[in-house]
Amino acid sequence: MVQVKLQHVNKSFGKTEVIRNVDLEIQKGEFVVFVGPSGCGKSTLLRLIAGLETLTSGEIAIADKTVTDLPPSKRGIAMVFQSYALYPHMTVFHNMAFSLDLQGFPKKEIRARVEKAAKILQMESLLDRKPAALSGGQRQRVAIGRAIVRNPDVFLFDEPLSNLDAALRHDTRGEIARLHSQLDATTIYVTHDQVEAMTLADKIVVLKDGEVMQIGKPMELFNMPANEFVAGFLGSPKMNFFDGVLGIIGSEGNIAGFSGQGMALENIRLVSTEKKSGTTARLGIRPQHLELNPKGWLKGTVTLIERLGTETIIELMSPEKILFRYATSEQIDLSAGQEARFSFDIDKAHIF
Amino acid sequence: MITRTFSHLVLALIVFIWVVPFVALVSTSLRSETEAKTSGFWTAFTPTVLGHRFSTHDRGTTAEFVDMSGNIFERLNGEKSGFPVSGEVQSILIKTRIADPENPSKTKLIRKLVPAGEPLEVRGGSFVYQSNGDFTWTFPEATAPKPKKLDAFINQDPVFGADAYIEVLFDNKKVPNALISSFIVTIPATIIPITIAAFAAYAFAWMTFPGRDWLFVLVVSLMVVPTQLAFLPILQGFSGIASWATALNAWLTDCEINDSCQVASKSFASLWITHTAFGLPLAIYLLRNYIVGLPKELLQSARIDGASHLQIFTRLIIPLSVPALASFSIFQFLWVWNDLIVALYIGPNNSSDLVFPIRLQKQLGTFKDQLHLLNASAVISMIVPVIVFLSMQRYFIRGLLAGSVKGG
Repeated sequence: MVQVKLQHVNKSFGKTEVIRNVDLEIQKGEFVVFVGPSGCGKSTLLRLIAGLETLTSGEIAIADKTVTDLPPSKRGIAMVFQSYALYPHMTVFHNMAFSLDLQGFPKKEIRARVEKAAKILQMESLLDRKPAALSGGQRQRVAIGRAIVRNPDVFLFDEPLSNLDAALRHDTRGEIARLHSQLDATTIYVTHDQVEAMTLADKIVVLKDGEVMQIGKPMELFNMPANEFVAGFLGSPKMNFFDGVLGIIGSEGNIAGFSGQGMALENIRLVSTEKKSGTTARLGIRPQHLELNPKGWLKGTVTLIERLGTETIIELMSPEKILFRYATSEQIDLSAGQEARFSFDIDKAHIF
Repeated sequence: MITRTFSHLVLALIVFIWVVPFVALVSTSLRSETEAKTSGFWTAFTPTVLGHRFSTHDRGTTAEFVDMSGNIFERLNGEKSGFPVSGEVQSILIKTRIADPENPSKTKLIRKLVPAGEPLEVRGGSFVYQSNGDFTWTFPEATAPKPKKLDAFINQDPVFGADAYIEVLFDNKKVPNALISSFIVTIPATIIPITIAAFAAYAFAWMTFPGRDWLFVLVVSLMVVPTQLAFLPILQGFSGIASWATALNAWLTDCEINDSCQVASKSFASLWITHTAFGLPLAIYLLRNYIVGLPKELLQSARIDGASHLQIFTRLIIPLSVPALASFSIFQFLWVWNDLIVALYIGPNNSSDLVFPIRLQKQLGTFKDQLHLLNASAVISMIVPVIVFLSMQRYFIRGLLAGSVKGG
């Protein structure tokens, strides 16, 4: 069942187009993450769904109801802001009760709903405090609690973890995931952090310059990126790219050969299917998929070694002066200036 | 470190410059008339030598005696009410005749200061006093002398009393009336503009309507219009309104019978309107700048929660703007309370409705010689803004927004 539906959504500020022709369907109970570099329009898209910005053209429907011209409060959404946006002069209880109070709910029901939400978030003891007396994580929880009491059709999160420190971010991420499965609520979550996107999402929407680059399950995007941008954006360290020439294209058009950088390879997944044989192309391979092999076809000189404990990342320079990385969980014995050779499973390479 | 010391010094200097006149005003108002007139306020806190005239005994006493004893301070404090004199008697000024050294056949009138313990001749008797004020007056034989007035120089202990306040507050109704009139003018002239300005400021900050920025520029540019420039048109306007009101009064009521149709053009209401008009630009400017600085997310969150503009205004903006509202109301209160010129031109001019600054200005004429009374009135007029400031000051709490948004 489709809970949120975006059709041909466009938004421009003056002459700047911020969102370009976005089509999107979100199923009920799905956890969707908008991810992209800063300025890609992911927050604007969320605010368009929330009704804080008006569409230039297009249509938005939430729970089978067109909401394009409705004010935020009538859309059945609740939003958690990056800055929490708690009302500083009200106690936690009143912060959470504010929307219900405005809707004219009876006092008893307000209390019951707030207390229920507080219980879910394990913050019953905080209800009488003011936001100033709370820690960052607690404020975050109040902001989420404020969304829960409204019992919305869709939860919207706008980079909710970016103000927390690393340890707390990890915990809260887990809590949001737990909360989502507990409430079974449709959630749209905006972040620039690909780790959050990969761990939380049922479906990731990658955006760039206001356009949707790819929509899909996290591992789908990771294994089968639809374009060079998605391939480079997801995964850490970044995917390696090598310039070269497109070889013979297979009969079904989805595999091709590649030559360049001293490599001559066959049967590699071709992503840019519109390209013709003989034109320039780029080969992409993730650092994790390289294998140290003395007979390998990829050669490089070590320039930097980063030992992270669980992982070692080695930065190398190819003879053609292209920087690439090799990542491995083994604690290998290499040092700067040394030469190394690599091979890789060609099933894991892509041509863009 | 050096700059901090320097700024502390400058601060101390500023505090000193501000506090000295205040201390002068208060101390003078608490002194006796003589003291206030004859010595500066800085002598009020240390013993001061002052002349006092006392009489040796009460008039009409006919009992004869050979020696009489008494106390100068008892005599002094028995006669006067108010400021009790204490301290030590330094000398008594006496006029006496002595043999003229240049002309042996004649005597000469001299004045001299007789120190304590030394006898002086008073009405044929020998008058001896001690510095603590005890005196004995001894005659060769029993007599009943008339009381003698003597001038004693007394090194007097500091003494303060609220007599001047009692006099200005209770002797007649001028100062209490002025106090009430000032409140009648000031309170609405503070509340009305701040109420209007808060609404306007919210609209300028968070509502979108055509011409908003130009309208705001216009409002801000009104701040430079000097009050004096507008007096004539304002007066004309008010007298026009007053004549309309008079005509309306005559038409609607039967005021002709007792000839009470006239509606005054200068009234408290005209002061309220004028102060509101001249206070609004600054108020709107200050409040708008404060309100526009409130976190945008708060308002958006309230919008998602379903609050209308009015609800956002009353439940979010007003509670969060208390520091700005408080600081502007202090400004406006002080300005209206201390205002003389607008009140003179536009305010009511019958004696019982005069506001405090006008009353003070009038007292400057009548109390020219009675500094203590003048200062007492001044302190009364000053105490109100001080109370207002101190009570509002607690709203200037920093970080009222702490905890609402990031970095808070």
